[in-house]
Amino acid sequence: MDTFDSLLYGFSIGLQPANILVCFIGVLVGTLTGVLPGIGPVGAISILLPISFHLPPISGIILLAGIYYGCMYGGSTTSILVNIPGEAASVVTCLDGYEMAKKGRAGAALGIAAFGSFFAGTLGVVGLMLFAAPLAKLGLKFGPPEYAAVIFLGLTLIIYLSQGPVIKGLMMGAFGLILSCIGLDPIQASPRMIFNTLHLWDGIDLAPLAMGLFGVSEVLINIEKAAAPEILKTKIKNLFPTLLDWMQAKWAILRGSILGFLLGVLPGGSPVIAAFASYGIEKRLSKEPHRFGKGAIEGVAGPESANNSACSGGFIPLFTLGIPPNVVLALFFGAMMIHGIRPGPLLLQDHPDIFWGVVSSMYIGNVMLLVLNLPLIPLWVQVLKIPYRILFPLILLFCLIGSYSLKTSAFDTLVMIFSGVIGYLFRKFEYEAAPLILAFVLGPMLELSLRQTLIISGGSLLIFFTRPISAVTLTFSILLLSSSVIAYFKRAKRSQEVSGSRGKR
Amino acid sequence: MITNRDQLSSLFWLAISIFVCVESLQDDVGSFITPGPGFFPFWSAVILGGLAIVLAVTSFLRKDREELTEQWIDVKWGKVLWVVASLLIYSLLLNTLGYLLTTLGLMLFLFALAGRAKIWSWLGSALLATLLSYLVFYSWLNVQLPKGKLGF
Repeated sequence: MDTFDSLLYGFSIGLQPANILVCFIGVLVGTLTGVLPGIGPVGAISILLPISFHLPPISGIILLAGIYYGCMYGGSTTSILVNIPGEAASVVTCLDGYEMAKKGRAGAALGIAAFGSFFAGTLGVVGLMLFAAPLAKLGLKFGPPEYAAVIFLGLTLIIYLSQGPVIKGLMMGAFGLILSCIGLDPIQASPRMIFNTLHLWDGIDLAPLAMGLFGVSEVLINIEKAAAPEILKTKIKNLFPTLLDWMQAKWAILRGSILGFLLGVLPGGSPVIAAFASYGIEKRLSKEPHRFGKGAIEGVAGPESANNSACSGGFIPLFTLGIPPNVVLALFFGAMMIHGIRPGPLLLQDHPDIFWGVVSSMYIGNVMLLVLNLPLIPLWVQVLKIPYRILFPLILLFCLIGSYSLKTSAFDTLVMIFSGVIGYLFRKFEYEAAPLILAFVLGPMLELSLRQTLIISGGSLLIFFTRPISAVTLTFSILLLSSSVIAYFKRAKRSQEVSGSRGKR
Repeated sequence: MITNRDQLSSLFWLAISIFVCVESLQDDVGSFITPGPGFFPFWSAVILGGLAIVLAVTSFLRKDREELTEQWIDVKWGKVLWVVASLLIYSLLLNTLGYLLTTLGLMLFLFALAGRAKIWSWLGSALLATLLSYLVFYSWLNVQLPKGKLGF
């Protein structure tokens, strides 16, 4: 089958009424979670992960994918109207989006964000369709050393790009690897760290861990705060941008779409990084950089396009190499494995229905988002007014049902609550949970590849440098790690000098 | 003496690292030629321990002005503790009392804790949340929710 025939086959799956319905629910829930500040795609997907297990595999994946890219659309609404990002990838949209809203141009900002997102989302899906097959062929040439090296690069990048100090990111990664070891050893099947309980025989489940670390901890952090966000009281009109708006934003949308896609494909790349990179580039390329931060439409169009195409791009390493490039797709990886589908080079060959079904659903979902979201903006504004005191008991209830329903076991709800408390403390002590989850998901693959590599090479780590792909990948990872560790020590030294000079005064 | 968050957390990580190392040694670490089941967790724990020491040393040298208590000044401890405790009690009672009764109890408590002014308001919200969730998850999505010893 060539690409066109495969796409038609995909549409025959994506256009089934049940799949249209789950796609619709996915994009709607995604937009809703994007609109509501604080939940974000990781929290939403963690909470709804167990529900997807009750659906057929293709419908489950379509639902989760819809939530992911729907969230990217919804995040801009809160950024523009409330000046609080609905999710992390919309942080940068606040800068110019809210300024536009203050000048009475909320409609144009919301409109260009929606159209830009649609264009970028569609372009990203085209890229996914065209690049997945060649990359899957390359993936077939991968042996254990290559896999170990690429997984190591993915972990390095997520730690390198995390917001906190690199040392804490590394610690979270190491802790995630340790947690992934609980249960049966992948080679000899002997139990490890199970503490004489049968509940840990199969290890810790991803869903309760992720729900606790992201969902419950978010609730615990939010109930500490009393203040509610203030919504801009402005009339939303003229959602269709003017010709001048289009002229100003067209190159920003195109550049943002391409940049976002490329950054999404990279291991460790994410919509957040894509949005920030796009804003930086637009500001640098602009003839009037002083307009940025004061309501420049390019400052909304570029980042919003970039975060949507990065979403689609991220599916390429997941589907073709079986390596999730960011934490959201790590959850996808877990969901696919639970459905008995192994993402990787053989996915296109063994499960073309999943790959092409998801690709077609992305086209459908992007159209749904564009058609639905503009008329629904007044509704989202009302949703923003729901007080947190009503939302948080419901979020907790979702988490409890979700974790219980996995194995109808109250032990999983206890794991979720414990993870929630740990996640809350992580936030208090400024540790990021994202590297932990990614390491937890990649841990079993890394362990298996590493141990196989050591057995093949007779215990020599030099094998990594005798094969071109692993040599390049590992060298790049080591360079990245070294540079960030050196930067960490330099900062520590500088801080020591500053506090020393303060002490002398 | 521990003066900031990083020093306190590095001690915690060091303890985790030592614990995992001991557990892994019992599981057989093996060698680089024939790595055993304990190999991967052992080396992960060694890395974690090493990083914890580095964090402790750098935070000690930094002599930050930030005090350990600063982060906790504005925390509404009561609310956080009540929520965690109620979730724990819910998990422990779920199989005994069944989904409907336990969830209604939890929702009543959480809506009351959230500070809804009128009694009928949080009573109604709790009842609605319980029944709707039962309808969606049990009746529509066929999620197996526990009936408990009372049979509902």
